[in-house]
Amino acid sequence: MIVKKRRRPLPLTVLSTTFVLLWVLMAAFPFIWTVWGSFKVEQDFFSRDSWWFAIEGPRTIAQTGSAFTGDGYYGAWVLRDFFSSVVNTIIVTVSVVVISLTFGTLGGYALARSGYRYTFWLLMLALVFRAMPHITLVSGYLLPFFEMNIWGHLPTAIIVLVAINQPFTLWMLHSFFLSIPKDLDESAMVDGCSRFQAFRMVVIPVMWPGVITTGLFSFLLAYNDFAVTAMLLSQPNQTMVPKIASFLGTIQQEGNVMFAVAAVVSATAPLFVLVMFFQRQIVSGLTAGAVKG
Amino acid sequence: MAEIRLKNVSKRWHNFVGVNNFDLDIADREFLVLLGPSGCGKTTTMRMIAGLDDISEGEIWLGDRMVNNLEPKDRDISMVFQSYGLYPNMTVYENIRFPLRVRKVPKELHHEKVMQAARMVELVDFLERRPAALSGGQRQRVALGRAIVRQPAAFLMDEPLSNLDAKLRVSTRAQIKNLQHTLKVTTIYVTHDQIEAMTLADRVVVMNRGVIQQVGTPTDIYDNPANTFVASFIGSPAMNLVSGDIENGTFRGPGITIAGLQTNVKGPVTLGFRAEDASLVSEGGEFGAEVYSMELLGEATMASFRIGDQLVSIKSGKEYRAEIGDVVHAAIPASICHLFDTDTGVRIARTPGN
Repeated sequence: MIVKKRRRPLPLTVLSTTFVLLWVLMAAFPFIWTVWGSFKVEQDFFSRDSWWFAIEGPRTIAQTGSAFTGDGYYGAWVLRDFFSSVVNTIIVTVSVVVISLTFGTLGGYALARSGYRYTFWLLMLALVFRAMPHITLVSGYLLPFFEMNIWGHLPTAIIVLVAINQPFTLWMLHSFFLSIPKDLDESAMVDGCSRFQAFRMVVIPVMWPGVITTGLFSFLLAYNDFAVTAMLLSQPNQTMVPKIASFLGTIQQEGNVMFAVAAVVSATAPLFVLVMFFQRQIVSGLTAGAVKG
Repeated sequence: MAEIRLKNVSKRWHNFVGVNNFDLDIADREFLVLLGPSGCGKTTTMRMIAGLDDISEGEIWLGDRMVNNLEPKDRDISMVFQSYGLYPNMTVYENIRFPLRVRKVPKELHHEKVMQAARMVELVDFLERRPAALSGGQRQRVALGRAIVRQPAAFLMDEPLSNLDAKLRVSTRAQIKNLQHTLKVTTIYVTHDQIEAMTLADRVVVMNRGVIQQVGTPTDIYDNPANTFVASFIGSPAMNLVSGDIENGTFRGPGITIAGLQTNVKGPVTLGFRAEDASLVSEGGEFGAEVYSMELLGEATMASFRIGDQLVSIKSGKEYRAEIGDVVHAAIPASICHLFDTDTGVRIARTPGN
């Protein structure tokens, strides 16, 4: 017997496919444009004559003999030591994620299991601090940091970033912990766990999607931060984002802008890898709190 | 094994009293059921014994230890939760093994103990599954298996059957009863289902609003309810309660006159009798009224009557038939009647010779 396949009307299929393709194109275009352009020289990518130069690259051919050049990458990574800011970024992000998650899981769990009313006000207070623009915090920190002579060091920036990030991690993990039934900790405690053992051996394993999602958001905050790292770090301790900004700032020297473009591409690539690697956990984490299992 | 003693235990939240002055000795190996409507404090009492809730007042003793300030893990009890509380990331085997693991039982004993518990709850075929891949009844058995895998001083069970369907409830009930008999461990069982209480218990504690109403064997509680609350809570249908007046041993209510009761009371009382103790008769009897509804139960027929604002049910043989609206008479001999104080609801004791 022939089973007739139910089909959607053709115009609808065409329309929706076109829409999705168009949307993907628009969303991906800036990134593709930047990746492509990062292999050109400045006179092509920022050409005043025609934007087509950025695609074909006649001046790149004229200057280097090939349509693609790694000069931007060479300048950023070798001449201007972008590598050390990569290391700084790794130190800052890893520290921020680890510290935020440690305090966030412990605090979020305590708040979720506490029966007292003050937990609500603590969370509200956290929300207020989270809503403040980062720059207000940083400007307040500057003077005391100078006086205490701790300005410019990585740990200082890490502490400030954790302080900015912590309210958010608390909120997020708090709601994840709320979705885990209390019976689970209680049966663990009757089975012979202390409160902390119940947390570590029973609750956290169930919490992984939530921890990973929250960790990813913490990572992104630390990775993308500009206000804190630009104001609180000395030149040699700079992370990637303020470093890229400093490439752009010295626009008089030819080629420096291309260092920035190449650095931007270098800084974005790991994000793709990360999101693709964790996408399953992120999606399940984002929806975990929504529907009770 | 251990007996459990609760000495004047109370639980308060601000000015709300959850459990009021709970005083009871539970013998070693006893199967005690806490029975009452929701919100009566039975689960709170159990959680205080487990150590999951603090005790506001009083003392709890497990064997010869006062456990008020001990953590749950140090009380040597195991508990079965209503929602099972299984660890979703572990297999059935790991779930049952978990108490052994955290209590640092020597590793070489684990397998044998887990398998023994799994055999008792008939889960040997499911050991590699995760709780999500099990049915409700199987999950409940995992929770039971986890409770029995080490020999605790006492089992606590918090409405373990209420999430199961009716048929499974009956078979699991029998299984729990048998397990307790085999293991000979003091068991406290919380339920709002009076049939579970009657079938399982050595002794039943009926609670209402945080106060013990009556403690006794199931027969005691069924045959001699201490007050109108117990009378109306136990039994299906509950005991019929009729308000009226008594004088010289004769009770008079709307459509009902019963002679030969005790003569030591006078004035308004509540009279109670069980549906199955009374019988429908064609003529005479102590009671006559129009049938309000007829229910066929299969093994019996239940006739209901409206007396004042109360419904009175009387059971009859399964062949008995009457139409709604027919006038029917019933024999309610004095010997099946219980008298309760109208104001306090407390049972009025029979004097000797009545």
